[in-house]
Amino acid sequence: MDSLDFKVGELLKEIILDDSAIETLDRAVSSVADAIESIPEQLVSADAAPKFVADLGVPTDKKLSFTFKSPESIQVGGSHSIRSVAKPDINVDLLVRMPKECFHEKDYLNHRYHAKRLLYLRVIEKSLTTCPVVRKIGWSSFQNEARKPVLIVFPVVKSAELSDFFIRIIPTATSLFSISKLSLTRNNVRAFTQECGQTQATPKYNSSILEDMFLEENSEFVRKAFHEWKSLKEALLLLKVWARNRSSIYTHNCLNGYLIAVILSYLTVESGGNLITKSMNRMQIFRVTLKFIATSNLMGKGLCLQPRGQCNKSKEDMNQFLQSFDIIFLDSSCSFNLFFRLTRTAFEELRDEASWMLSSIDKCRGGGFEEVFLTKVDFTAKFDSCLRINLKGNSKICSSNYCMDDECWRISEKDVHSLLQQGLTDRARFVRVIWRSTPSDWNVEDGFSNFGNEPMLVGVLVSSQEKSFRVVDIGPNPENKEEVMKFRKFWGEKAELRRFRDGTIAESTVWECEPWARHLIIKRICEYLFAKHFLLTKDDVVHIVDQLDFCLKLSDPESSSGALLEAFELLSKRLRLLEEIPLRISSVQPLDPALRHTSVFPPQPHPLAYEKGVNKKPSKLATTSIQSLDVMIQLEGSGNWPVDRVAIEKTKSAFLLKIGESLQEHSGALCIATKDEVNVLMSGYSFCLRIMHEKGLNMLRNQGGSDKIKVTSSVDKELLIRSQHSSMINGLHGRYPTYGPVVRLAKRWVSAHLFSSFLAEEAIELVVAYLFLKPFPFHAPCSRVTGFLRFLRMLSNYDWAFSPLIVDINEDFTPKDEKEIDENFMLSRKSCEENAQNVEPAMFLAAPYDKASEAWTRSSPNRSVLKRISSYAQSSADLLTNLILHGADGPYTWECLFRTPLNTYDAVVLLHHNKLSNPQHLLFPAEMNCGKQVIRGKASKDFQPYMILGGGVQSLEDARNKVMVNFDPTRCFLEDLKREFPNTFKVWHDSLGGDAIGLTWEKKDSRKRSRDGEDASRTETTDALKRVGEVGKGLVKSVHLFKVPRR
Amino acid sequence: MGKDKKVGKAAQGTTKSLPKLTKKKLKLEEDPDSGNQTAGGASTEAENNLRILKGKKVWKAAKGTSKLLVKLRKKKLKLEEDPSFDDQTVEGASTEAKNNLRILKEHKKNKAKPMEKKGKLSKRKKGGEDNKSFTSNGGQHLNKDDHVFDLINSGQTSENGSVEVKEQSETVGSSGVEEACIGKRIKTKKLKRVGKSKRSDHVSEKKVQLEKLAEVDSEKVDEISSVDEDCTRGMKKWLINYKESRQGLKILQQRIDEFITAYEAQQEQERREREAIAAEGGWTVVVHHKGRKKTTDSESGITVGSVAQAAVLDNMARKKNKEVALDFYRFKKQEAQRSEVMLLQSKFEQDKKRIQQLRAARKFRPY
Repeated sequence: MDSLDFKVGELLKEIILDDSAIETLDRAVSSVADAIESIPEQLVSADAAPKFVADLGVPTDKKLSFTFKSPESIQVGGSHSIRSVAKPDINVDLLVRMPKECFHEKDYLNHRYHAKRLLYLRVIEKSLTTCPVVRKIGWSSFQNEARKPVLIVFPVVKSAELSDFFIRIIPTATSLFSISKLSLTRNNVRAFTQECGQTQATPKYNSSILEDMFLEENSEFVRKAFHEWKSLKEALLLLKVWARNRSSIYTHNCLNGYLIAVILSYLTVESGGNLITKSMNRMQIFRVTLKFIATSNLMGKGLCLQPRGQCNKSKEDMNQFLQSFDIIFLDSSCSFNLFFRLTRTAFEELRDEASWMLSSIDKCRGGGFEEVFLTKVDFTAKFDSCLRINLKGNSKICSSNYCMDDECWRISEKDVHSLLQQGLTDRARFVRVIWRSTPSDWNVEDGFSNFGNEPMLVGVLVSSQEKSFRVVDIGPNPENKEEVMKFRKFWGEKAELRRFRDGTIAESTVWECEPWARHLIIKRICEYLFAKHFLLTKDDVVHIVDQLDFCLKLSDPESSSGALLEAFELLSKRLRLLEEIPLRISSVQPLDPALRHTSVFPPQPHPLAYEKGVNKKPSKLATTSIQSLDVMIQLEGSGNWPVDRVAIEKTKSAFLLKIGESLQEHSGALCIATKDEVNVLMSGYSFCLRIMHEKGLNMLRNQGGSDKIKVTSSVDKELLIRSQHSSMINGLHGRYPTYGPVVRLAKRWVSAHLFSSFLAEEAIELVVAYLFLKPFPFHAPCSRVTGFLRFLRMLSNYDWAFSPLIVDINEDFTPKDEKEIDENFMLSRKSCEENAQNVEPAMFLAAPYDKASEAWTRSSPNRSVLKRISSYAQSSADLLTNLILHGADGPYTWECLFRTPLNTYDAVVLLHHNKLSNPQHLLFPAEMNCGKQVIRGKASKDFQPYMILGGGVQSLEDARNKVMVNFDPTRCFLEDLKREFPNTFKVWHDSLGGDAIGLTWEKKDSRKRSRDGEDASRTETTDALKRVGEVGKGLVKSVHLFKVPRR
Repeated sequence: MGKDKKVGKAAQGTTKSLPKLTKKKLKLEEDPDSGNQTAGGASTEAENNLRILKGKKVWKAAKGTSKLLVKLRKKKLKLEEDPSFDDQTVEGASTEAKNNLRILKEHKKNKAKPMEKKGKLSKRKKGGEDNKSFTSNGGQHLNKDDHVFDLINSGQTSENGSVEVKEQSETVGSSGVEEACIGKRIKTKKLKRVGKSKRSDHVSEKKVQLEKLAEVDSEKVDEISSVDEDCTRGMKKWLINYKESRQGLKILQQRIDEFITAYEAQQEQERREREAIAAEGGWTVVVHHKGRKKTTDSESGITVGSVAQAAVLDNMARKKNKEVALDFYRFKKQEAQRSEVMLLQSKFEQDKKRIQQLRAARKFRPY
């Protein structure tokens, strides 16, 4: 038994109801059925639900009154009838056949059937409310169709597992009306006319009645197919789980459990080509079905449950169907289209999802179990941008009747879709519009007035960066008058006649904007179109694109990164041309994240960091501290290097000093050096030069050979890995332009929640890279919000304990590489088997340059920290999902994603935020009014993060002397803390400039339980915290104690 | 548990013993012993824990008003012990508890006024600590079974620590009954709870803060002394360090030159000594070197016996091929097969274990 099969088996165990539960279910259902059967005859009239009847547009006359008679038959339909109810949605469909005597022959006309159908249900509702077996009764609609309500009955059930279980009472109309009267071409809603007064066919309306007429027959067909066929049932359950995880295809206008069952039973019979046979197992059936969905010609030709010969439909009839519906799948009677609710786009999405699934199963590790069955592919994570449109009370929808042939909500779904499709053209690969119009707590007495209160959801899949974010749309040629008229009508004042560089003249629309705001173009287009065609204001349309940009706003990276890269190029050119140093410089490589577009705050050009000759107009204010960018240099080979490690480092420094000096002489760059680092200030930036020496690498290898356990990290090794990482990530950024912003959001999130000291920046980059390289079951994200959401979900859901994360950046891992990684992983996990607490590394990240996960996550995060990170990620992901779907609700705003609770630490140190090296990077000043304040302190006067330039008094030289390279008080403080309090506490901080530092006590070994040591330890900790304050003198504002360490 | 003790102590001052309550308490103290025997299975451990706690409390804080906790616990215990109690009595009991608490609260209010300042302070501390211990515990030792009950307890104290007494008694009333029957589910429950608490923390944090502590005694807090004078610590030190380490290129260069000269001199001396030894006796010990021959002389850096590395590797590879195949003997082949089977078997075992763990972590639930 392979592991996928095993996992699937476990999954099935989780969702299948056990026998005892089924028994309780059956008992409850039969008691409800008995209660319905015993309802006495009674007269019913429209008074029972006047608003519903009025909203349907049916006159309340005598024709609606009838004598209620108990149903002809009551039987269980749907998933419970074939024993395939999947937890957690436990419900049973009860098909109640309304007796013929209750209806007139012509009731199929003008919604009279629908009105009476409801009145019939009203009687059942009334009598069930007094029934002792019923706990609660509610209303819902059948497949979101407002005119077909169903009764939701919650029976009294004692079992906790079945507490949410309910029964749907669905009326059926078996053989109530003549089928020919309901054929597609007929008009049965007389008010539905064309402009000239001619009546139009009402295929949707007719199908709505036909559906009720054939419900029993079709569910009988399904029941027969599933009878005593275990693997088919299991496959159905699996397909349901698969579809249910994809909220955009498991909806009213696409798939549901019943339709999946129909498809499966179709595939077992002759007309479906007997694709499923008894010898197949569940996963084979699963795959065959997906393949069928992905490749079938439901759309072009239409299918029929009955085999060719028995289907009595002529070609013309079929054509008629093709004209009326997008997707055709005729039922066993050959006169009703089971898929009449499916729209073309919905089906396209379904097909795309199925085929993408099939192709990605093979690319996933372990058969893709997680990707297929466990990962939620909901609206928010799937689409690149989501729109929430509030159409409540919109004049365009409310003006017409609620229901004619189709319902007004479905029609506006279609309208919005076609509007966006036309407006976005090839910018969007896919647009999906879904409006769950039925209110969750619907009462039929209110009629349809509360329908559509929920916002409409629109998902847009972006096609590609270049197409989607282009500035100009070119329309038709002015000579083509008809097209021009259309174009002008659609775009209104936005349309303009333009002459392009290649000489063509054409109608066009232009969306000019800054290069960094290109991702907002789609939003602008949508807002414009909705305002023009739906008269919606900006408040009614919420487009999720830029809501998170506030935390990156301070700098727009794309414009400044150009200058930065230029400066780097200039530096490397100058370095390579240097001639005064004994060895020439053979290569210059960037190491800093800012040079690969992944830094949250890439440095801004500093007015004092220019060469002497360059006269930049100095700004008034500048930061005192300059962030330096690491650059790696390699020298040409020589045999004259010393062999001793210290001597090598000294020689490197000597080289660097020499280089700095000559740069200073030749180009006027400023060189600021200590004995460990050399910084060159030029073109507005500061670069920190490092030399990588190959021999250093070899030395390490030799040492490692003799003593494998003790792996000493050498400077050269670290530099090598960093340069490899840097160049690979840079390549990735070239392939996926959205990668940069997503990484920046992710980094901001990690540091905002004070995880900076535990999760290396490079590790975050790798995790995000994985989202782009192995996006299954999604496509690679094309928007920052979606990418960020997937990052959070990945952090929280990934099975870090049992699987390595293999980030195949260049996509060139061979099976041998993977095997090697797996072996490394097993090795690292083996040691932890005895001691489950110490899994090192808790996060196994394998990259092409580091197959043993030694580079970034070797020592941290450990298991407990990782657990904390994932639970934070989980809650942030939930919040983000909620924000996208429902918007900010009260205090739950977008900022909350980056606001971290401070009362979860043992002690908190607050810093003076105007003494941070970059106060402008602070997101929210920390507020603290709980915990015991232990000590507080004044801010130092000696350090100011900003300095005022100009004024003539200061010369450039003086000002330059005040500039501090790489000076960060917070970092100094943390270093001192580590030195003064080794192994006392864990330090949680925000490397991007937060003003709060969390402390948690490290666990003490001593197991002594001193009874009266409590007070002593309290004063002890207070004293320790006071010393913490002393160490950070001038920076620390206050120290707060929350919890004394446990002893 | 130490925390609870603290609670008792802190509260000790605020309310003097209330005769009525102590009496009741004593009465309650007596009956659990008999009742404990009836308690069954999963709940015993939890009870034991509680009993220890309670015992300590009675012993230590005889006068303390931590009765609040003790009593609630006891009430719960009672409910646990007596399975014959039906729902109604549970309700009754909890309302009774509520009433008691209300009385207690009132008394507290009346009596505690003179001590208010201190009381508030300690209360604040208590609240903060309790809340915190709850969440951070959850974060840290999620998997330790021994902590499970601790956690439940501390979780409850955090509830108790909050000011709303009414709510508290309700939660205890209901959760007490639940807890009695749930032994093994606790773990998962707790996991959930941690997640939830984190979630709500996003927002509730602020509210809680505001509620809990309106005023901070700013006068009593010590202040860090001589911020701008002390050069040995803090900002001043960092600034001085920064300046001192950047003395200019010339000086740095000089230092490095000094080091290199010293280093070279040392090397030179070592070399001389070696030469001297060699010259003295004319003998050197020849040591066999394992591994690849050195291609560069370490001292002069001159390439000596130059052999291309590729060539060596090639040579070695060729040599390997000449070695006798592993399966030359039949028994070797069998052995290899056996070991492979063993390997597969162990891998299978490992997979099984893994799946067991996955199942425990509910990794198969698609919702």
